[in-house]
Amino acid sequence: MTMTVHDRSRAISTFRFLSVWMMETIAGWTPITPEMDVKVMFGRHIWDYAQIADALGKRTFELRKPEQHSTAPGPAYLDFLHTVRSEATTAARIGAFYEGLLPGLIARYRAYVAATDPVLDEPSVVIIDRILRDLERHRQEANSLCEALKLAPAKPGFASREAAIGEFIVAKADA
Amino acid sequence: MIGIGFFDVEDIKLRDAPARDACFDVVYRDAEMHEYAELSAMWLRETLHRHMTNEITSLDIAAACLVEFPDAPWELRLELARQCWDEARHVRVLHRRLSEVGGHRGEFPISVLEWNITCALDNLPGRLATQNRTLEAGAMDVVKGLSRNVREYGDERTADMLEAILTDEVQHVRFANRWIRRWATEDRRVLMKIAYAVRFLAAANAKFQIKAGELNAVGKTLEAPEDRIPAVNVEDRKLAEFSDDEVNEILRQAGFRALVPDGVAA
Repeated sequence: MTMTVHDRSRAISTFRFLSVWMMETIAGWTPITPEMDVKVMFGRHIWDYAQIADALGKRTFELRKPEQHSTAPGPAYLDFLHTVRSEATTAARIGAFYEGLLPGLIARYRAYVAATDPVLDEPSVVIIDRILRDLERHRQEANSLCEALKLAPAKPGFASREAAIGEFIVAKADA
Repeated sequence: MIGIGFFDVEDIKLRDAPARDACFDVVYRDAEMHEYAELSAMWLRETLHRHMTNEITSLDIAAACLVEFPDAPWELRLELARQCWDEARHVRVLHRRLSEVGGHRGEFPISVLEWNITCALDNLPGRLATQNRTLEAGAMDVVKGLSRNVREYGDERTADMLEAILTDEVQHVRFANRWIRRWATEDRRVLMKIAYAVRFLAAANAKFQIKAGELNAVGKTLEAPEDRIPAVNVEDRKLAEFSDDEVNEILRQAGFRALVPDGVAA
Protein backbone atom coordinates (compact mmCIF):
# COMPACT_ATOMS: atom_id res chain seq x y z
CA MET A 1 0.00 0.00 0.00
CA THR A 2 1.40 3.40 -0.90
CA MET A 3 1.74 6.23 1.58
CA THR A 4 -0.70 9.10 1.31
CA VAL A 5 0.25 12.75 1.64
CA HIS A 6 -1.22 12.65 5.16
CA ASP A 7 0.94 9.64 6.02
CA ARG A 8 4.01 11.50 4.81
CA SER A 9 3.23 14.71 6.64
CA ARG A 10 2.59 12.80 9.88
CA ALA A 11 5.88 10.95 9.54
CA ILE A 12 7.92 14.02 8.60
CA SER A 13 6.39 16.13 11.37
CA THR A 14 7.08 13.31 13.86
CA PHE A 15 10.69 13.17 12.72
CA ARG A 16 10.80 16.93 13.21
CA PHE A 17 9.48 16.60 16.75
CA LEU A 18 12.29 14.17 17.45
CA SER A 19 14.92 16.45 15.95
CA VAL A 20 13.84 19.36 18.15
CA TRP A 21 13.78 17.02 21.14
CA MET A 22 17.32 15.87 20.31
CA MET A 23 18.52 19.47 19.98
CA GLU A 24 16.96 20.37 23.35
CA THR A 25 18.24 17.25 25.07
CA ILE A 26 21.84 17.76 24.01
CA ALA A 27 21.55 21.48 24.79
CA GLY A 28 20.18 20.68 28.24
CA TRP A 29 23.05 18.34 28.94
CA THR A 30 25.73 20.82 27.83
CA PRO A 31 25.92 23.03 30.96
CA ILE A 32 25.71 20.05 33.33
CA THR A 33 28.40 18.03 31.54
CA PRO A 34 31.87 18.67 32.99
CA GLU A 35 34.03 17.31 30.17
CA MET A 36 35.12 20.09 27.80
CA ASP A 37 35.50 17.77 24.81
CA VAL A 38 31.99 16.40 25.28
CA LYS A 39 30.58 19.92 25.48
CA VAL A 40 32.38 20.72 22.22
CA MET A 41 30.85 17.69 20.50
CA PHE A 42 27.42 18.59 21.86
CA GLY A 43 27.81 22.12 20.49
CA ARG A 44 28.27 20.79 16.98
CA HIS A 45 25.40 18.32 17.28
CA ILE A 46 22.99 20.95 18.65
CA TRP A 47 23.43 22.87 15.41
CA ASP A 48 23.08 19.71 13.32
CA TYR A 49 19.76 18.77 14.97
CA ALA A 50 18.52 22.33 14.59
CA GLN A 51 19.28 22.22 10.86
CA ILE A 52 17.65 18.82 10.53
CA ALA A 53 14.52 20.09 12.29
CA ASP A 54 14.51 23.16 10.08
CA ALA A 55 14.74 21.13 6.86
CA LEU A 56 11.97 18.78 7.99
CA GLY A 57 9.91 21.76 9.12
CA LYS A 58 10.11 23.31 5.67
CA ARG A 59 9.02 19.99 4.19
CA THR A 60 5.93 19.82 6.46
CA PHE A 61 4.76 23.03 4.81
CA GLU A 62 5.09 21.43 1.39
CA LEU A 63 2.99 18.55 2.69
CA ARG A 64 -0.02 20.73 3.59
CA LYS A 65 0.91 21.43 7.22
CA PRO A 66 2.15 24.69 8.75
CA GLU A 67 5.84 25.46 8.40
CA GLN A 68 7.87 23.94 11.24
CA HIS A 69 4.94 21.77 12.28
CA SER A 70 5.72 18.97 14.76
CA THR A 71 3.72 15.91 15.80
CA ALA A 72 4.56 14.09 19.02
CA PRO A 73 5.20 10.35 18.75
CA GLY A 74 3.07 7.83 20.62
CA PRO A 75 3.16 7.54 24.43
CA ALA A 76 5.45 4.50 24.49
CA TYR A 77 8.05 6.37 22.47
CA LEU A 78 7.64 9.51 24.58
CA ASP A 79 8.23 7.39 27.66
CA PHE A 80 11.38 6.01 26.06
CA LEU A 81 12.60 9.54 25.29
CA HIS A 82 11.97 10.56 28.88
CA THR A 83 14.15 7.68 30.06
CA VAL A 84 16.98 8.67 27.73
CA ARG A 85 16.89 12.27 28.90
CA SER A 86 16.91 11.33 32.57
CA GLU A 87 20.33 9.63 32.41
CA ALA A 88 22.62 11.16 35.01
CA THR A 89 26.25 10.69 33.97
CA THR A 90 28.16 11.69 30.86
CA ALA A 91 28.87 8.08 29.90
CA ALA A 92 25.28 6.99 30.44
CA ARG A 93 23.92 9.96 28.48
CA ILE A 94 26.18 9.29 25.53
CA GLY A 95 25.34 5.60 25.67
CA ALA A 96 21.59 6.16 25.85
CA PHE A 97 21.57 8.82 23.14
CA TYR A 98 24.11 7.68 20.58
CA GLU A 99 23.87 3.91 21.09
CA GLY A 100 20.32 3.60 22.40
CA LEU A 101 18.29 6.16 20.47
CA LEU A 102 20.20 6.79 17.24
CA PRO A 103 20.40 3.25 15.75
CA GLY A 104 16.64 2.84 16.03
CA LEU A 105 15.99 6.28 14.63
CA ILE A 106 18.27 5.58 11.69
CA ALA A 107 16.29 2.38 11.05
CA ARG A 108 13.02 4.35 11.18
CA TYR A 109 14.28 6.86 8.62
CA ARG A 110 15.37 4.00 6.37
CA ALA A 111 11.99 2.33 6.75
CA TYR A 112 10.32 5.58 5.71
CA VAL A 113 12.50 5.84 2.59
CA ALA A 114 11.72 2.22 1.72
CA ALA A 115 7.99 2.79 2.13
CA THR A 116 7.52 6.10 0.35
CA ASP A 117 7.35 6.73 -3.40
CA PRO A 118 10.93 7.64 -4.38
CA VAL A 119 9.80 10.01 -7.13
CA LEU A 120 6.67 11.62 -5.72
CA ASP A 121 8.33 12.10 -2.33
CA GLU A 122 11.85 12.70 -3.57
CA PRO A 123 12.15 16.00 -1.64
CA SER A 124 11.69 14.06 1.62
CA VAL A 125 14.10 11.34 0.49
CA VAL A 126 16.82 13.87 -0.33
CA ILE A 127 16.46 15.48 3.11
CA ILE A 128 16.55 12.10 4.83
CA ASP A 129 19.66 11.01 2.91
CA ARG A 130 21.47 14.01 4.39
CA ILE A 131 20.07 13.33 7.85
CA LEU A 132 21.26 9.73 7.75
CA ARG A 133 24.79 10.86 6.95
CA ASP A 134 24.69 13.24 9.91
CA LEU A 135 23.34 10.65 12.32
CA GLU A 136 25.94 8.07 11.31
CA ARG A 137 28.66 10.70 11.76
CA HIS A 138 27.31 11.55 15.20
CA ARG A 139 27.59 7.93 16.28
CA GLN A 140 31.17 7.75 14.98
CA GLU A 141 32.11 11.01 16.73
CA ALA A 142 30.59 9.84 20.00
CA ASN A 143 32.41 6.50 19.74
CA SER A 144 35.74 8.17 19.00
CA LEU A 145 35.29 10.60 21.88
CA CYS A 146 34.42 7.83 24.32
CA GLU A 147 37.58 5.98 23.28
CA ALA A 148 39.70 9.10 23.67
CA LEU A 149 38.24 9.96 27.08
CA LYS A 150 38.10 6.32 28.18
CA LEU A 151 34.38 6.63 28.83
CA ALA A 152 32.53 3.34 28.76
CA PRO A 153 28.96 4.20 27.79
CA ALA A 154 26.59 1.90 29.60
CA LYS A 155 24.12 0.22 27.22
CA PRO A 156 21.31 -0.89 29.48
CA GLY A 157 19.14 -2.33 26.72
CA PHE A 158 18.14 1.05 25.29
CA ALA A 159 18.44 -0.03 21.66
CA SER A 160 16.36 -3.15 22.13
CA ARG A 161 13.79 -1.19 24.09
CA GLU A 162 13.57 1.34 21.27
CA ALA A 163 13.11 -1.39 18.69
CA ALA A 164 10.42 -3.08 20.77
CA ILE A 165 8.21 0.01 20.63
CA GLY A 166 7.33 -0.66 16.99
CA GLU A 167 5.39 2.09 15.21
CA PHE A 168 6.07 5.49 16.78
CA ILE A 169 3.98 7.68 14.51
CA VAL A 170 0.56 8.41 15.92
CA ALA A 171 -2.01 7.37 13.33
CA LYS A 172 -4.19 10.20 12.01
CA ALA A 173 -3.04 12.47 14.82
CA ASP A 174 -3.69 15.59 12.82
CA ALA A 175 -5.03 14.31 9.53
CA MET B 1 14.74 24.05 33.06
CA ILE B 2 18.28 22.81 33.50
CA GLY B 3 18.90 21.37 36.96
CA ILE B 4 21.24 24.13 38.06
CA GLY B 5 20.15 26.17 41.07
CA PHE B 6 20.84 29.64 42.41
CA PHE B 7 22.91 31.24 45.15
CA ASP B 8 22.74 34.58 46.93
CA VAL B 9 25.44 37.23 46.98
CA GLU B 10 24.10 39.72 49.50
CA ASP B 11 20.90 41.04 47.86
CA ILE B 12 21.48 39.46 44.44
CA LYS B 13 20.50 35.98 43.30
CA LEU B 14 22.93 34.42 40.83
CA ARG B 15 22.87 31.09 39.01
CA ASP B 16 25.04 28.29 40.31
CA ALA B 17 28.07 27.43 38.17
CA PRO B 18 27.81 25.12 35.18
CA ALA B 19 29.81 21.88 35.26
CA ARG B 20 33.52 22.07 34.52
CA ASP B 21 36.32 19.52 34.18
CA ALA B 22 37.94 18.77 37.53
CA CYS B 23 41.20 20.33 36.29
CA PHE B 24 39.64 23.81 36.29
CA ASP B 25 39.75 26.04 39.37
CA VAL B 26 36.69 28.31 39.20
CA VAL B 27 37.10 31.69 40.92
CA TYR B 28 34.82 34.72 41.19
CA ARG B 29 36.95 37.84 41.39
CA ASP B 30 39.35 39.30 38.82
CA ALA B 31 41.87 39.56 41.64
CA GLU B 32 41.83 35.76 41.89
CA MET B 33 42.57 35.37 38.19
CA HIS B 34 46.12 35.29 36.92
CA GLU B 35 47.32 38.19 34.84
CA TYR B 36 50.88 38.70 33.61
CA ALA B 37 52.99 41.33 31.90
CA GLU B 38 51.55 41.91 28.44
CA LEU B 39 53.03 39.89 25.54
CA SER B 40 55.10 37.62 27.78
CA ALA B 41 54.84 33.86 27.19
CA MET B 42 52.82 33.40 30.37
CA TRP B 43 50.53 36.27 29.38
CA LEU B 44 49.82 34.63 26.01
CA ARG B 45 49.04 31.27 27.59
CA GLU B 46 46.79 32.78 30.24
CA THR B 47 45.05 34.93 27.64
CA LEU B 48 44.37 31.94 25.38
CA HIS B 49 43.24 29.90 28.39
CA ARG B 50 40.94 32.68 29.56
CA HIS B 51 39.33 33.08 26.13
CA MET B 52 39.00 29.32 25.70
CA THR B 53 37.15 28.96 28.97
CA ASN B 54 35.02 32.04 28.28
CA GLU B 55 33.94 30.34 25.04
CA ILE B 56 32.92 27.25 27.02
CA THR B 57 30.77 29.54 29.14
CA SER B 58 29.26 31.17 26.05
CA LEU B 59 28.40 27.70 24.72
CA ASP B 60 26.74 26.81 28.03
CA ILE B 61 24.72 30.04 28.02
CA ALA B 62 23.47 29.65 24.43
CA ALA B 63 22.58 26.01 25.08
CA ALA B 64 20.70 26.95 28.26
CA CYS B 65 18.72 29.59 26.36
CA LEU B 66 17.63 26.93 23.86
CA VAL B 67 16.32 24.69 26.63
CA GLU B 68 14.86 27.24 29.01
CA PHE B 69 12.93 29.20 26.38
CA PRO B 70 11.32 26.52 24.20
CA ASP B 71 8.62 28.93 23.01
CA ALA B 72 11.10 31.39 21.48
CA PRO B 73 10.60 31.96 17.73
CA TRP B 74 12.12 29.16 15.68
CA GLU B 75 14.34 31.56 13.73
CA LEU B 76 15.88 32.77 16.98
CA ARG B 77 16.36 29.21 18.23
CA LEU B 78 18.26 28.52 15.02
CA GLU B 79 20.54 31.46 15.75
CA LEU B 80 21.19 30.16 19.28
CA ALA B 81 21.87 26.65 17.98
CA ARG B 82 24.32 28.06 15.46
CA GLN B 83 25.97 30.05 18.24
CA CYS B 84 26.48 26.78 20.15
CA TRP B 85 28.43 25.38 17.21
CA ASP B 86 30.45 28.59 16.77
CA GLU B 87 31.43 28.69 20.46
CA ALA B 88 32.33 24.99 20.35
CA ARG B 89 34.64 25.64 17.36
CA HIS B 90 36.19 28.57 19.21
CA VAL B 91 36.95 26.33 22.18
CA ARG B 92 38.65 23.87 19.81
CA VAL B 93 40.85 26.41 18.05
CA LEU B 94 41.81 28.19 21.25
CA HIS B 95 42.69 24.88 22.87
CA ARG B 96 44.72 23.94 19.81
CA ARG B 97 46.64 27.23 19.96
CA LEU B 98 47.07 26.94 23.73
CA SER B 99 48.67 23.52 23.24
CA GLU B 100 50.91 24.86 20.46
CA VAL B 101 52.37 27.49 22.80
CA GLY B 102 52.96 24.96 25.57
CA GLY B 103 49.87 25.55 27.71
CA HIS B 104 47.23 23.15 28.93
CA ARG B 105 43.68 23.22 30.22
CA GLY B 106 43.46 23.88 33.94
CA GLU B 107 46.76 25.77 33.93
CA PHE B 108 45.14 28.96 35.28
CA PRO B 109 42.05 29.84 37.36
CA ILE B 110 38.89 30.53 35.37
CA SER B 111 35.70 32.52 35.82
CA VAL B 112 32.13 31.58 34.92
CA LEU B 113 30.66 34.85 36.15
CA GLU B 114 29.04 35.57 32.77
CA TRP B 115 26.96 32.41 33.27
CA ASN B 116 26.24 33.17 36.95
CA ILE B 117 24.79 36.54 35.96
CA THR B 118 23.17 35.91 32.56
CA CYS B 119 21.47 32.65 33.47
CA ALA B 120 20.03 34.15 36.64
CA LEU B 121 17.72 36.21 34.40
CA ASP B 122 14.34 34.63 33.72
CA ASN B 123 13.65 36.09 30.29
CA LEU B 124 15.30 35.76 26.91
CA PRO B 125 15.41 39.47 25.96
CA GLY B 126 17.26 40.10 29.23
CA ARG B 127 19.73 37.30 28.58
CA LEU B 128 20.42 38.44 25.03
CA ALA B 129 20.85 42.01 26.26
CA THR B 130 23.34 40.83 28.89
CA GLN B 131 25.32 38.09 27.20
CA ASN B 132 25.22 38.89 23.49
CA ARG B 133 24.63 42.62 23.35
CA THR B 134 26.78 43.62 26.32
CA LEU B 135 29.33 40.95 27.25
CA GLU B 136 30.00 39.56 23.76
CA ALA B 137 30.01 43.06 22.34
CA GLY B 138 32.56 43.96 25.02
CA ALA B 139 34.56 40.90 24.00
CA MET B 140 34.60 42.26 20.44
CA ASP B 141 36.41 45.32 21.81
CA VAL B 142 38.89 43.17 23.72
CA VAL B 143 39.60 40.70 20.89
CA LYS B 144 40.11 43.45 18.33
CA GLY B 145 42.83 45.08 20.45
CA LEU B 146 44.31 41.74 21.33
CA SER B 147 44.64 40.59 17.74
CA ARG B 148 46.28 43.87 16.80
CA ASN B 149 48.75 43.61 19.68
CA VAL B 150 49.83 40.04 19.04
CA ARG B 151 50.20 40.74 15.31
CA GLU B 152 52.49 43.68 16.05
CA TYR B 153 54.41 41.33 18.29
CA GLY B 154 54.84 38.95 15.35
CA ASP B 155 52.38 36.25 16.38
CA GLU B 156 50.47 36.07 13.10
CA ARG B 157 48.93 32.69 13.88
CA THR B 158 47.22 33.83 17.06
CA ALA B 159 46.17 37.10 15.42
CA ASP B 160 44.57 35.32 12.45
CA MET B 161 42.71 32.99 14.79
CA LEU B 162 41.40 35.85 16.93
CA GLU B 163 40.19 37.76 13.88
CA ALA B 164 38.27 34.72 12.65
CA ILE B 165 36.66 34.32 16.07
CA LEU B 166 35.81 38.01 16.11
CA THR B 167 33.97 37.64 12.81
CA ASP B 168 31.71 34.97 14.31
CA GLU B 169 31.07 37.08 17.39
CA VAL B 170 29.78 39.95 15.26
CA GLN B 171 26.88 37.74 14.16
CA HIS B 172 26.10 36.73 17.76
CA VAL B 173 25.83 40.37 18.75
CA ARG B 174 23.96 41.29 15.56
CA PHE B 175 21.20 38.70 15.94
CA ALA B 176 20.66 39.82 19.54
CA ASN B 177 20.42 43.45 18.45
CA ARG B 178 17.94 42.51 15.72
CA TRP B 179 15.70 40.51 18.03
CA ILE B 180 15.78 43.06 20.83
CA ARG B 181 14.85 45.79 18.38
CA ARG B 182 12.06 43.66 16.94
CA TRP B 183 10.66 42.74 20.38
CA ALA B 184 10.84 46.34 21.55
CA THR B 185 8.94 47.48 18.47
CA GLU B 186 6.22 44.90 19.07
CA ASP B 187 5.98 45.45 22.84
CA ARG B 188 7.57 48.43 24.58
CA ARG B 189 7.44 46.57 27.90
CA VAL B 190 10.40 44.52 26.65
CA LEU B 191 12.48 47.65 27.19
CA MET B 192 11.81 47.33 30.93
CA LYS B 193 13.28 43.82 30.87
CA ILE B 194 16.32 45.07 28.98
CA ALA B 195 16.82 47.95 31.40
CA TYR B 196 16.49 45.61 34.37
CA ALA B 197 18.99 43.16 32.85
CA VAL B 198 21.58 45.88 32.24
CA ARG B 199 21.19 47.19 35.82
CA PHE B 200 21.37 43.63 37.16
CA LEU B 201 24.59 43.01 35.24
CA ALA B 202 26.17 46.19 36.62
CA ALA B 203 25.06 45.43 40.19
CA ALA B 204 26.29 41.83 40.04
CA ASN B 205 29.62 42.84 38.51
CA ALA B 206 30.11 45.39 41.26
CA LYS B 207 30.02 42.61 43.87
CA PHE B 208 33.18 41.05 42.43
CA GLN B 209 34.99 44.11 41.14
CA ILE B 210 38.65 44.79 41.87
CA LYS B 211 39.91 47.92 43.54
CA ALA B 212 42.68 50.11 42.16
CA GLY B 213 46.04 48.99 43.49
CA GLU B 214 44.81 45.55 44.53
CA LEU B 215 47.29 42.71 44.02
CA ASN B 216 46.09 39.76 41.97
CA ALA B 217 46.82 36.09 42.68
CA VAL B 218 50.24 36.27 41.03
CA GLY B 219 51.30 39.56 42.59
CA LYS B 220 50.48 41.97 39.78
CA THR B 221 49.13 45.36 40.83
CA LEU B 222 45.75 45.87 39.18
CA GLU B 223 44.46 49.11 37.75
CA ALA B 224 41.05 50.52 38.64
CA PRO B 225 38.19 49.05 36.55
CA GLU B 226 37.66 52.38 34.76
CA ASP B 227 41.28 52.31 33.62
CA ARG B 228 40.96 48.80 32.21
CA ILE B 229 38.28 49.55 29.62
CA PRO B 230 39.48 48.50 26.13
CA ALA B 231 39.26 50.70 23.05
CA VAL B 232 35.79 50.53 21.53
CA ASN B 233 35.70 48.46 18.35
CA VAL B 234 33.50 50.87 16.42
CA GLU B 235 33.79 49.09 13.07
CA ASP B 236 32.54 45.76 14.36
CA ARG B 237 29.91 47.31 16.61
CA LYS B 238 28.48 48.95 13.49
CA LEU B 239 28.61 45.61 11.64
CA ALA B 240 26.74 44.16 14.61
CA GLU B 241 24.08 46.81 13.95
CA PHE B 242 24.53 49.08 16.91
CA SER B 243 23.13 52.43 15.80
CA ASP B 244 25.37 55.49 15.55
CA ASP B 245 23.72 56.86 18.70
CA GLU B 246 24.43 53.63 20.56
CA VAL B 247 28.06 53.59 19.43
CA ASN B 248 28.48 57.20 20.51
CA GLU B 249 26.97 56.39 23.90
CA ILE B 250 29.37 53.47 24.32
CA LEU B 251 32.28 55.71 23.40
CA ARG B 252 31.18 58.23 26.01
CA GLN B 253 30.84 55.58 28.69
CA ALA B 254 34.29 54.28 27.79
CA GLY B 255 35.72 57.75 28.26
CA PHE B 256 36.65 58.23 24.61
CA ARG B 257 34.92 61.56 24.27
CA ALA B 258 37.46 62.74 21.73
CA LEU B 259 36.32 60.03 19.35
CA VAL B 260 32.67 61.08 19.42
CA PRO B 261 31.91 62.79 16.10
CA ASP B 262 31.40 66.55 16.07
CA GLY B 263 27.87 67.73 16.59
CA VAL B 264 26.91 64.94 18.97
CA ALA B 265 25.95 66.27 22.37
CA ALA B 266 28.12 64.88 25.14
